[in-house]
Amino acid sequence: MLANQIGYYSLLLGLLSSFLLCIVSAKDFNSSNNKINQNILSLSFLQLMLVVVSFLSLIISFVNSDFSNETVFNNSHTTKPLFYKISGTWGNHEGSLLLWLMVLTLFIFLFLIKSREQPKKYRILTLLFQQIIIIGFFLFVLMTSNPFNYLFPVPNEGLGLNPILQDPALAIHPPILYLGYVGTSVIFSSALAAVVLNYISKDWGQHIKKWVLVSWIFLTVGIMLGSIWAYYELGWGGFWFWDPVENISLMPWLSLTALLHCITVLEKRNMFTSWVVILSISTFTLSMCGTFLVRSGILNSIHTFANDPARGVFILIFLFVLISLSLIIFFIFQKKNYKDLQLFWLSRETSVLINNWFMMYFLSVVLIGTVYPIFLDVISSEKISVGPPFYQKLITPFLIVFLLLMSFVPRLKWIKSKIDNKNSLIIIFIISVMLSLLIIKNLKVDLLFNTILVSAAFFLFFTTLKELFDKKLNIAQTLSHFGFSLLVLSILFNSILSSETITNIKIGERYNYSNGEIFLKRIEKKKESNFESIIAYFEIKDRNSKTIELKPEIRIYNQPKTITSEADIKTSILNDKFLVMSHVKGNEYFNIRYQVKPFMIWIWTSVLLISFGGLMSLFKKKNEK
Amino acid sequence: MKIFKIILIVFFSLGFYQLKSDEKTAAIEIKILKNIRCLICQGQSVHDSESEFAFSIKQIVKKKISEGLKEKQIYDFLKDKYGEWIVYDPGFNKNTYILWLLPLLLFFLAGAIMIKKLIFKK
Repeated sequence: MLANQIGYYSLLLGLLSSFLLCIVSAKDFNSSNNKINQNILSLSFLQLMLVVVSFLSLIISFVNSDFSNETVFNNSHTTKPLFYKISGTWGNHEGSLLLWLMVLTLFIFLFLIKSREQPKKYRILTLLFQQIIIIGFFLFVLMTSNPFNYLFPVPNEGLGLNPILQDPALAIHPPILYLGYVGTSVIFSSALAAVVLNYISKDWGQHIKKWVLVSWIFLTVGIMLGSIWAYYELGWGGFWFWDPVENISLMPWLSLTALLHCITVLEKRNMFTSWVVILSISTFTLSMCGTFLVRSGILNSIHTFANDPARGVFILIFLFVLISLSLIIFFIFQKKNYKDLQLFWLSRETSVLINNWFMMYFLSVVLIGTVYPIFLDVISSEKISVGPPFYQKLITPFLIVFLLLMSFVPRLKWIKSKIDNKNSLIIIFIISVMLSLLIIKNLKVDLLFNTILVSAAFFLFFTTLKELFDKKLNIAQTLSHFGFSLLVLSILFNSILSSETITNIKIGERYNYSNGEIFLKRIEKKKESNFESIIAYFEIKDRNSKTIELKPEIRIYNQPKTITSEADIKTSILNDKFLVMSHVKGNEYFNIRYQVKPFMIWIWTSVLLISFGGLMSLFKKKNEK
Repeated sequence: MKIFKIILIVFFSLGFYQLKSDEKTAAIEIKILKNIRCLICQGQSVHDSESEFAFSIKQIVKKKISEGLKEKQIYDFLKDKYGEWIVYDPGFNKNTYILWLLPLLLFFLAGAIMIKKLIFKK
């Protein structure tokens, strides 16, 4: 009860501190003092602390199962384990927005501390733009999604959290993803500030690149965590469904990746200034659109947990304001570069341009694929589905070209360059084609198409691998590119080589499938605090008569009453063995689905490699100074 | 005609290529089921769903395959019954020209703009 009040009032005070900050910094903006007013830092810290207090009090309400709080009532239950009571705080609409807000205030405070050597006016202006976003979020939370609504009479028991959200990966997936999303807000604010002050330059590029890297790393890892969760929790063994909400997290990632490449050109050559600003704006806009589309319930997706038109309208207006503001600023202040840009065909600049060209294409495919059905529905009320086949058809052919270019173009030097080691490139290319041909020929898949695709991926794999052993300058970049080739290869072989068996089975029965035998030994019933579970003990013998034991589970949660299937997965270097079962209505049979999924672990490892490359690049920058 | 077809299928399924043709139909069945949306679920394919709707669709698809219908004919049948929405792969028709062509158009347009705005030297 008390925590509830404290949380609400510290939110109000946080909003107040936003206005104070705006006034103080506006005053300081034109003062002759070279240093930023110390009060601004203190106020920013105070604001952060107020939101942290508010967030902590929501956590306390969740831990104490204080059902006088509407959010807690809607999303928690006394029998839930403590860990999920805490993670339930951001497993719902109101709490997750409060988390957004907390990260927003945290990042602007960090920005102020970390930008001491930057010009004062630029720092203040960035703060002001960031405060516009922060005020918007304060109002959004307080007006449409107050996490501290009071319920009277106080209910005895809560409604509980959706069981599929009660999961360790999903407890950390939103915070990590938000760190990435919100990081792009700092890039957005500072890009606008730099445009106004005509400060888009090498110095700015060097300074903002750290923020780009940090956001990019969090976004990459955040998306991966969501994918891992979908893989083992949703129960059908896929890891990417081209579901609208997944696409929405991929869009800012694509835009941010383009920015990450483009910013190096700004940093080193002071070129593509306008394009960097456009990418900064679009990345943040896409992150915001993500929040809007997910929260408004327009999309038909497993992630949607809020359906409230008032919220949708608010975010739509907010988004409209932010986009128009940034466009107006861009068109008024951005200095036109009338001087023609001259580039050499073979140069690092052109290679980055090509990267951005493809990134924007992939982005447009995902964007159009996601929003086109909505538009068509509105215009002609005809409903169509845009699923995996659409994305595969439009992306794969371009991915082949992209992979081939990626194999040698990033090695080009600035200004003017030539292709080194042509012979070794040709040899590697021939090896890649031969190897792919040898592998694909033995599989029952389309020979020509798959060979081309796999060859391109192998080509990148071997060239980057070779470079890793060379004493080359840019290990961070090579590592990320190597990780990307590994990712593509793992996904390809995973989709080509996956196999599955579906059958009904009862206790004591043996089932022979094409590659071995499945035996259901026994089942066991267990009772946990908030669910009952049926654990089945399976023995699976494969052709080499190696036996493994898998224990999938069916869980019957008490609140809300839901039945979930928990897969059991045995991971090894070569493949994952994935078994999931469900109860067949009205008899003693269980429906089981046994899948052998090759190279799953390599998909996750390669994404980690990609982000690790980013991390290396971040620390390399620090050491140089 | 129908009986003739069934006899033909039974004949083949008992025949020499029993295992192989079975495997092939199973693969096509999975491919089709993965491409059909479970209409009462949230973003799941029929293949991945255990709802009753998915169950009945699985039966229909199985039946249609055994009747000898081609992949496309099965989609057409389902589209007639449930609307375009049920198929994940949007066909190329007047509703989807923009969907398929706009990304490609943007790609080439962006390329053209780059070549026009920037001066490339050998």
